[in-house]
Amino acid sequence: MSLFQKIGNIGKIFRQNGGLVGSYLKLFRTDDLKWGTLVGEDKYGNKYFQNDYYFMGRNRWVEYPLSVGHDYDASQVPPEWHRWLQYIADEPPSQLPLPKRKWMADHTENLSGTERCYVPYSTTRPKVEAWVPPKNNL
Amino acid sequence: MATNTVLRLSGTFSQPLSCLFRHQWKVTVVPVQRTFSKKTNGTGPQKTSSALVPYRNQSTDVAPAPEKKPYSPFQGPFSSKAEYALTRLDDLLNWGRKSSMWPMTFGLACCAVEMMHFAGPRYDMDRFGVVFRASPRQSDVLIVAGTLTNKMAPALRKIYDQMPEPRWVISMGSCANGGGYYHYSYAVVRGCDRVVPVDIYVPGCPPTAEALLYGVLQLQKKVKRMNTLQMWYRK
Amino acid sequence: MKGMKVKTDSPVTRKAREGVMEFLLVNHPLDCPICDQGGECDLQDQSMAFGSDRSRFTDNAFTGKRAVEDKNIGPLIKTIMTRCIHCTRCIRFASEVAGVDDLGTSGRGSDMQVGTYVEKMFKSELSGNVIDLCPVGALTSKPYAFTTRPWETRRIESIDVMDAVGSNIVVSMRTNEVMRILPRLNEDINEEWISDKSRFAYDGLKRQRLTTPFVRNNSGELVATDWETALFDIAQRVKDANPATIAGVAGGQADLEAMVCLKDMINRLGSEVLCTEEAFPMINSGTDFRSNYVMNTTIAGIEESDLVFLVGTNPRLEGSLVNARIRKSWVHNEMCVVLLGAPVDLSYDYQYLGDSFSVLKEIADGSHPIAKALADADKPMIILGSDAIQHNNGSLILDTVKRIAKNTKKSLNHPDWKVFNVLHRNASQVGALDMGYKPGMDSLKCDKPSLLFLLGADADKLNNDDLHGNAGVIYIGSHGDAGAQMADVVLPAAAYTEKDAMYVNTEGRAQVGRQAVSPPGMARHDWKIIRALSEILGVSLPYDKLSDVRGRLAEISPTFDRPGRVEETGFDNVSDDVTIDKITHTGATAPVVPALLKLRDFYMTDPISRSSLTMAKCVQAYDEAEANPYSKPEAI
Repeated sequence: MSLFQKIGNIGKIFRQNGGLVGSYLKLFRTDDLKWGTLVGEDKYGNKYFQNDYYFMGRNRWVEYPLSVGHDYDASQVPPEWHRWLQYIADEPPSQLPLPKRKWMADHTENLSGTERCYVPYSTTRPKVEAWVPPKNNL
Repeated sequence: MATNTVLRLSGTFSQPLSCLFRHQWKVTVVPVQRTFSKKTNGTGPQKTSSALVPYRNQSTDVAPAPEKKPYSPFQGPFSSKAEYALTRLDDLLNWGRKSSMWPMTFGLACCAVEMMHFAGPRYDMDRFGVVFRASPRQSDVLIVAGTLTNKMAPALRKIYDQMPEPRWVISMGSCANGGGYYHYSYAVVRGCDRVVPVDIYVPGCPPTAEALLYGVLQLQKKVKRMNTLQMWYRK
Repeated sequence: MKGMKVKTDSPVTRKAREGVMEFLLVNHPLDCPICDQGGECDLQDQSMAFGSDRSRFTDNAFTGKRAVEDKNIGPLIKTIMTRCIHCTRCIRFASEVAGVDDLGTSGRGSDMQVGTYVEKMFKSELSGNVIDLCPVGALTSKPYAFTTRPWETRRIESIDVMDAVGSNIVVSMRTNEVMRILPRLNEDINEEWISDKSRFAYDGLKRQRLTTPFVRNNSGELVATDWETALFDIAQRVKDANPATIAGVAGGQADLEAMVCLKDMINRLGSEVLCTEEAFPMINSGTDFRSNYVMNTTIAGIEESDLVFLVGTNPRLEGSLVNARIRKSWVHNEMCVVLLGAPVDLSYDYQYLGDSFSVLKEIADGSHPIAKALADADKPMIILGSDAIQHNNGSLILDTVKRIAKNTKKSLNHPDWKVFNVLHRNASQVGALDMGYKPGMDSLKCDKPSLLFLLGADADKLNNDDLHGNAGVIYIGSHGDAGAQMADVVLPAAAYTEKDAMYVNTEGRAQVGRQAVSPPGMARHDWKIIRALSEILGVSLPYDKLSDVRGRLAEISPTFDRPGRVEETGFDNVSDDVTIDKITHTGATAPVVPALLKLRDFYMTDPISRSSLTMAKCVQAYDEAEANPYSKPEAI
């Protein structure tokens, strides 16, 4: 690769990431600057990019929406895109939508640390049966 | 570009067509199901009733207009300026803490191998400021990687006690989480949380290095919520 | 033979023993892995110690080992009769100790079977003891079946509170759960037996429990709340109440620590109204002298006696092990038993005097032949049932019995022998009286308390008319029973297996029960609840530790300081003098009969046994056995 191409790539990166300021902010947020083609976008606002110029493992990536700020998390990627992102499939779900079954639950991100986090509960019968006071016997 | 592929206006409209004109700029609004947006926001997710695109359970549907989420999890209301200042100081403190988490390696079994992979170039933990220290006195995080046996438990506790505050514990793998495969063994502690307080449980047998990485990121998220100075001030 | 040498470990003896073991095992199934006796099986131990290391049993013809059909002998004892080795210990226990000839053998040789001949319930209040006696797994506990192995459990030595005998028990605990209750050897009290209620009512500890405080809301419903709310609610009620009419009632299973805390707290609040649920007539010297209300001769003393005169009691159901002791003397010492009360089956013969009070009066006047028999006896005992003196005529009966005792004593050869005994029903009664609680709730009803503390008082002897207009009721106890239902504030406390506590039995013997499991949920130890409450009420009790409370108990009475021992009661002559001839006979009285007549009544008497499923099954099985036309009609 010639020096010109490299400089051209830098130019593409800056252009795609919104100029100098935008690139700086992007770097601040994601610690990475790349250029690539937008492959698709999901309902959460995640944008998926591909550029085979980068080697395998780095050639597909996701950019999380600004609405999650710095609190982005791999679990915010829905499964059908995860499929593409992890090279399980070649086609992104925007090109090849997966069949939607009625038993499929909607995707949620990892809710640990939030109010809706999963709390383990016991499914065994309690050892001691508590007394339930009679209702309004007076 | 993307709108061509993802914006679909199929189905029947339940609302009068005039809505279409009134809300034309909002055509892409779909119900937002996530409710984890910050509490102080008040309005919560966007009104779903104004959606023109009928609700579809496709994750590929187009997103709502982005709304920027601030860096700090502490967004007021503040009772005083001092509290605001301390909040920002907390942010700074947490940023410092989360950006240089030095784990004490506590490799006990096969999980330790995955923990080493985490340190290797492919997963490259150094980019998160995570650097292994072999001394408990200089580390922040204890990664319990593997089966904790009864014999090892006092050593683990001692190591934990030697770590300076603030300290965190990541329990890595089924055995450390709850005894795992060796749960019914007479020689095994049924989860390292019986010995030390655990912050992050990483499931798996063993968890991949990626999973451990995710665990570290989760811990960073947790550290980001620490409110040491604010609590000190409130007291 | 003189000079004979017995070799116990010679090769020949070992071989002979091995042979015997082989014969025993020929017809014994090798199902130790699924046998509940595994780990505490005598046959297993013997086989390990003396048996061969391999089997020569080869069943070439595939005829199988001997197999015997299992018998259904009630809801308590599970029988796997194939395992029986015909030691006949159960039969001997039933006919010699329990006095119920229900069990026996039929057939000879390898056809011999142990059973009840016709299928019926093993109707005895001591039936559970055959489980301990059985050296193999032929008789095992039905409620305990397949729950734990003996090596998994931790054993805690404790005291039973189902009756006033204070049987010594071992509580087997695993994973904070009472798995079973076994007797503990104490030759002075229960020997090596316990009653079925003591043994099997433990599942009542897991049902109907109070696990959280409750406060009654405006619509009259008890609502679960936290300790803070409940205690401050009580504080408000105490503030509103007239301090002189704050009352406390100790129930039948209250421990000494809780009772002393309650008494000290209520006294500090400015009230003296403290009483027990169980009544005891306060005539003459009443409960001022200890000899008036304990079993002076002690339970072991029954064996010395040659004449026992039971008045208005059914010891078989009120104190099963006292009855077992009487039966033991009756069998071995040619003791005579005379009964005045209901004609119940006591498992031994007795001379029945009817149930009329006039007979008692005749004896007191000396005109009845029994009066002479008592006078002639070497060491006569009069056992007065606490149940017979509950009603209005109680004082009259007590007075008459005391008079008989005094007359008897005049001609006694042994000056130290105390004739008069009381058989109580409640584990807390003697301790409460020792401490200065007033027996019975008559005084309380006169006072119309403005605030009432119930310490496990569940006998349902109070109603709202006995209280002041809008009096609050605070219940401190372990089970949701009558007391909790009438209460305005319910504080969850520990049951007897869940606390280190002392109890005084009917002999006046203080004993320490130990904590086996922790109280469920938010329940706490009784004395700690009262201690915490006293702090909130501003009358902090000066003890923070259990040892401090025990120290306070020792201040009250030296008997509390010497657990396990009986302090001999003094002043019994003085008390006789004070007591006698202060009351005159007024007209006719009701018959002197105890409340517990049939075995059916025995099973469910207190909040724990009332919550117990096993005990309910016993009652059901009893009813079914009664309805069975083929079972022998029995008095019990």
